[in-house]
Amino acid sequence: MYSIFEIERKVVDAGICTNCGACQGMCPYWKSHEGRTFVDYDCDRKEGRCKYFCPRMPADLDALREKLFGSDGCEIIPEIGPFRALYLSRAADPEIRKNAQHGGTMTALVEFALAEGFIDAAVLSKAGKADGTLDPAGFLATSPADVRSCGGSSFQIPPTLAVLNEALAADEYKKIGVVGTPCKALAVAKMKAKPYADNDNHADNIGMVFGLFCGWGLDWKGLAALGDAGHVDILPSKYHRMDMDDRQVDLDEVLPLVRNACKYCDDMTAEFADLSVGGARSSEGWDVDQGWNQLIVRTEKGQKLVDLAREKGVLEFREFGDEEAAAAAMDKLMRASASKRAKALSIE
Amino acid sequence: MKEVKVNNVEWMTTKNEPGKTYLMQGNEAIVRGALEGGVHFASSYPGSPSSQVLGMLGHIAEDQGFRAEWSTNETTALQSCMGASFANGRAICIVKQNGLLFHGDTIHCGALGGIKGGLVIVSSDDPDSHSSTNEFDSRHMAVSANIPMLEPASVQETKDMIPYAFELSEELGQMVLVRVTTRICHGRGSVTLGEIPERRPFTPIGLWDRMVGINWLHGFLLEKLERAREAFEVSPFNHYTGKEGAEKLIITGGTGMKYVQEALEEFGKEDEVGVLSLGCLWPLPEKFILKYLSKASKALIVEEVDPFLEEHISAIAGKAKLSVDIQGRADLIPSIGELNPEVVFKAVGEFLGEELPSKPVCGGEGCPAIEGVNIPARELTFCAGCPHRASFFILKQALRMEGHKGVVMGDIGCYTMAGQRAGQYGYHFMSCMGSGISAAEGLGQLTSYGFDQPVVSLCGDSTFFHSVVPGLINAKMNEANILHIVLDNSATAMTGFQPHPGTGQTAMGFETEKISIQALCESLGCRVWKADPFDVENTKNLICELIGMKGLKVLILEQPCATLAAKTRKKKKVWVDTDICRGANCGCDGYCSRVWGCPGNIWDFEKDCAAIDEVVCVGCGACASICPSGAIKVEGGDE
Repeated sequence: MYSIFEIERKVVDAGICTNCGACQGMCPYWKSHEGRTFVDYDCDRKEGRCKYFCPRMPADLDALREKLFGSDGCEIIPEIGPFRALYLSRAADPEIRKNAQHGGTMTALVEFALAEGFIDAAVLSKAGKADGTLDPAGFLATSPADVRSCGGSSFQIPPTLAVLNEALAADEYKKIGVVGTPCKALAVAKMKAKPYADNDNHADNIGMVFGLFCGWGLDWKGLAALGDAGHVDILPSKYHRMDMDDRQVDLDEVLPLVRNACKYCDDMTAEFADLSVGGARSSEGWDVDQGWNQLIVRTEKGQKLVDLAREKGVLEFREFGDEEAAAAAMDKLMRASASKRAKALSIE
Repeated sequence: MKEVKVNNVEWMTTKNEPGKTYLMQGNEAIVRGALEGGVHFASSYPGSPSSQVLGMLGHIAEDQGFRAEWSTNETTALQSCMGASFANGRAICIVKQNGLLFHGDTIHCGALGGIKGGLVIVSSDDPDSHSSTNEFDSRHMAVSANIPMLEPASVQETKDMIPYAFELSEELGQMVLVRVTTRICHGRGSVTLGEIPERRPFTPIGLWDRMVGINWLHGFLLEKLERAREAFEVSPFNHYTGKEGAEKLIITGGTGMKYVQEALEEFGKEDEVGVLSLGCLWPLPEKFILKYLSKASKALIVEEVDPFLEEHISAIAGKAKLSVDIQGRADLIPSIGELNPEVVFKAVGEFLGEELPSKPVCGGEGCPAIEGVNIPARELTFCAGCPHRASFFILKQALRMEGHKGVVMGDIGCYTMAGQRAGQYGYHFMSCMGSGISAAEGLGQLTSYGFDQPVVSLCGDSTFFHSVVPGLINAKMNEANILHIVLDNSATAMTGFQPHPGTGQTAMGFETEKISIQALCESLGCRVWKADPFDVENTKNLICELIGMKGLKVLILEQPCATLAAKTRKKKKVWVDTDICRGANCGCDGYCSRVWGCPGNIWDFEKDCAAIDEVVCVGCGACASICPSGAIKVEGGDE
């Protein structure tokens, strides 16, 4: 079967496409419009990179994990994947924190990675509107200032990896960092595994993968209709609400806007990344956690970056207090992640 | 009235020089025949292969003192002719096979009512559908409507048959159908001219004159047909050649005769076989046919398209209890497609029990003229710079980007080619003129009953006036849930730029007030939008918006036909920046040349990147907006 029909049938029409952009940016046929991926020409390739890079096409994930993390020496935890350490952290720079969803750890780390030469460019999502809200798109950042302009979260899923594919094809940057949700981290992992022998699209130019925790993404038009997004945050479940710049929205209004594809996703912590960042959910509660991130370090490279960031004072850390508190935070994270996995698997 | 130039008129003789011979195209012979028949009124809706006829008549009409006009459709064309006939004028109506079918009701009712001045309908069939969507056979219409029918075998006969048909028509008080085919219309032959008569004056319509089609005339209708049969028994257009009392008889209708003559010459059997060439096809001259058929033990019938003569002559043979073996389209000749030398040679060879000549048939397999020549198979496509290419590109993108599994209902015109690669395989449904909107109306109504696909219908500007208007009114009245797109290129482009109600021109070259499609739609209470198909992004977004909107929406995509625009618009320079072009990495070698597919967008195999064919390119610049890397540049020119 032609690659595009395989993806259309198994992913797009099946309603599990996340609009990550892994199929885009290599040929002119795959495109995206307001969060929807579509193909505008019935290309007759039977073997296409699009098919192999798509995170929702079938793949042997154990083999992929083994290939990418096998020699790294990290622990593999069933609930949250490859693991080295868990921290509570935030950006030291209050300017970063001002625009961040939580503590700005991701923005600070990516800026720092670029400045320190861990990566030489970074692919991120950036809001499309001038006021920094909504309609995000992929963006190739080549300076710390570029990275900073991408802070915040839109809760829409833009086809960021289209920009990665273009940057890889151009072969100008040799250590490109990628920031993305679990679906994007998985797609990048597939790219790194070079599944399509005829053309790896310079996969070796992928430097580091920065994973974002993700519960779900929202329908573009639906979210825009709710109001100005600006700073968007989903509060812990007991609050049952989403906060936007100018209003608080009951979660019952938001949940119908969750992308169908996200309901089938079983990865909360972006397991195929060097490190992953999410909102802090410690046992101390929301009042204390507000403005902090939790940070999972998975690989050796990720650990080096975080250690250096601590040394240079780019990140601030909040210690768990005692071992019991650390274990409780770990337990809470694993249960949250397992719960998403269970929901995805039990969906009708 | 100000005179304006009429496009595309071929040479044609209007000189009154009886006995002089000219080389003429079949379509010109129809024009000359009309002149020699003393025509007063001519009307037509363009359709290949006879599109040019009225263009030529229009060009000479003023000078020659008769009226020629393009009608909005074939039904109005024939009805206008009936009006002219009422005043004892001679009228000729020129249509193609679909046009003949389109005025089916008019022919039947008109035949019942009869005519005064001679009324001749010329219907041109297109075997093999060279420029049609079908190869319908006009001849069945004569049988159904009970009117006499003729078919010429040569260009000379074509010219001669028209005045004969006028005479016959007036003798019978009945309209006469002349069937021609593509090879007659577009073929050339020498024609010896007859005299162009003085045009007779009209006869006033008296208080008790009537032309009324009503059933109590049914008996008269059949009686007229019997009188036609008697005339046909002695008509000069039925010939017999070859051996007297031949056992092997070949019967031909129309151009079949020429193919058969050639085959018999090749086999050297002209003297052993009888050839009955029939020009009078309905009603068939039974006695004349039986005179030869009764002597034959077997007969081969060679005719275009359906086994019309085969079946009716079999009936005659059966009624006369002949034991003649009749063959034709049912066995020796393929039942579909056009006759050609190869097919007829084979059939005649088998019929005579002869080996095929060793010399290859011209144009057939092994023909030296084409052997070794590699002619790639090519699809029909839109011209370079055609706005339809952009329209269908946009429509497909709009439907896909909104995630709609939209259904597109096509219609008849240049844009019918959009069913192929040229238009991104752009429609799901296509039938006959005007069918798109009404079929869409039916489909769109189902959205209230659980059908959840958006429905889009399309038509061109000429088709809009031809038969879409009633469909639009129907859609409006029934509150259809559809988007109807009018692809307005200000031309009846497919058939050669004949004027239509929106062009502000008449067949005789005079200006007339343009009818605005927008104003017409708005007068019906339709919501109308206008957009430019070359403004790809904005038009795409507009279509997305309209598809999501409930109710009946009309979108007029306005951009003149590239062939017309190229004559008036200053050409922009379009070029490819080879540094920016992605080359082989752009899809499968070229989004522009492969997917967009304009003949002006080519591939430079040496540089392995896109290029513009400067000779073919008309400078519309539309490809610049679809290039994924912005490598196509446009400079200068008019907007």
